[in-house]
Amino acid sequence: MSSAGPTRTSDSLADVVEMLLDKGIVINADIVVSVGQTELLGIELRAAIASFETAAQYGLQFPEGTNMQRVEAASGRDQLPEAEEGPLAPVIDAADGSDAEETSEEDDGDADTEETNEENEGDDAEEAVEADGDTETTEATAEPEGDDADG
Amino acid sequence: MSAPAADPGTTVDDGRYLYCVVAVDEGEAGTDWTESNAVDDAEAYLVVADGIGAVVHRCERTPNPNDLSTVKRSLLRHQHVVDAAGDAFGTPLPLRFGTVVEGGDAAVREWLVETAATQRRHLDAFAGKWEYRIEVGWEEDALAETVEASDDRLAELAETLDDSSEGTSFLVQKQYDKRLSDLVYAEREERVAALAERLDPLVEEMEELGRPAVSLEDADGSDSGPSFRVAVLAPEENEIPIGDVLDEVKSNPETTDVQYTGPWPPYTFAPSLDDEESNDTGSGSADRGSEAGGR
Repeated sequence: MSSAGPTRTSDSLADVVEMLLDKGIVINADIVVSVGQTELLGIELRAAIASFETAAQYGLQFPEGTNMQRVEAASGRDQLPEAEEGPLAPVIDAADGSDAEETSEEDDGDADTEETNEENEGDDAEEAVEADGDTETTEATAEPEGDDADG
Repeated sequence: MSAPAADPGTTVDDGRYLYCVVAVDEGEAGTDWTESNAVDDAEAYLVVADGIGAVVHRCERTPNPNDLSTVKRSLLRHQHVVDAAGDAFGTPLPLRFGTVVEGGDAAVREWLVETAATQRRHLDAFAGKWEYRIEVGWEEDALAETVEASDDRLAELAETLDDSSEGTSFLVQKQYDKRLSDLVYAEREERVAALAERLDPLVEEMEELGRPAVSLEDADGSDSGPSFRVAVLAPEENEIPIGDVLDEVKSNPETTDVQYTGPWPPYTFAPSLDDEESNDTGSGSADRGSEAGGR
């Protein structure tokens, strides 16, 4: 009986993300000058978070047209389970996401100098992105080698 | 507004970031309510009109989707503010994350006045009720074992299989597998239906949430994973009774996963104010019947 109540542990972060990005009242009233990009923001955030920490973990749907394999590779989720913070834009760019490519002009938000304690993790994430690039290069060159072996 | 659509952290003019709408009694001390530690380190406060209040903070930019660490913190702080508002004023009507309006408190107040009747109706309807999220998964292999142990036809096929020659056994095996998979599917559906039925008297609405995620490993959707994933709207006092039902399900050996989270503001059941305003037929909730079952 004691365990019968609902929980809101760290596991339910997935619920928080999903609800906040997908649910709730959407206002589009003419009476206020709405910035009008709530939906766009939601999509971008979803892609960013999901590519970063894997979709499955957050229980997120990717926008249609997202190249899942690239996202999976780019998120490097096997290599860097710890790297929770860091620049997202390059990762998304690599993922060929049509929704996301406009957001990749800046590597780092210029407004966030306050978070000095997260720099290390950010570095980790950058390394992982680079590592991913290496992997793709390796794959690309693997085939010609195979041809050589045949011949 | 000079900002292009996807510019990170669009600048806004006298912006107000909106969290939720709550019912307030004007003139009461509660209208002085504030909550620090809001998104962007701002202080959230109430803008009140016609007995309803919007929880807002002053902002100059929309959230920046490029900066994930800030986004994650913002998501949690957004929820923190909505939770605090819910504690102070009862079940709030939550707005989607990242909603910013321009024009200062006056614009927010005007919006409240315009939509007051609808908002009040929904606030009353949601009063004392919260959203809870339930996920239950069943293990395929364990279900298969249960089914195998109880189905005569499968037993018969298994016997035939033992006695048959190689060629026949291939066909019998196919028959066996087909029947087993049909039965496992039916078994799971039955469990989903039974659970939905047991929850039904405890909840006011139930909405299926679909698969929890795009699986990166098997995008075509395997049989594993939660088979029952819903958001329910339920009175606060039914929290524990719902949990008791889930505890029973959990004790079942075939159950792999039971998650029960909440209470949340009614995100999933939040009304669409614009539609109702334009239609104004007075039966806004008619389109949302309760829905149960499924995977």
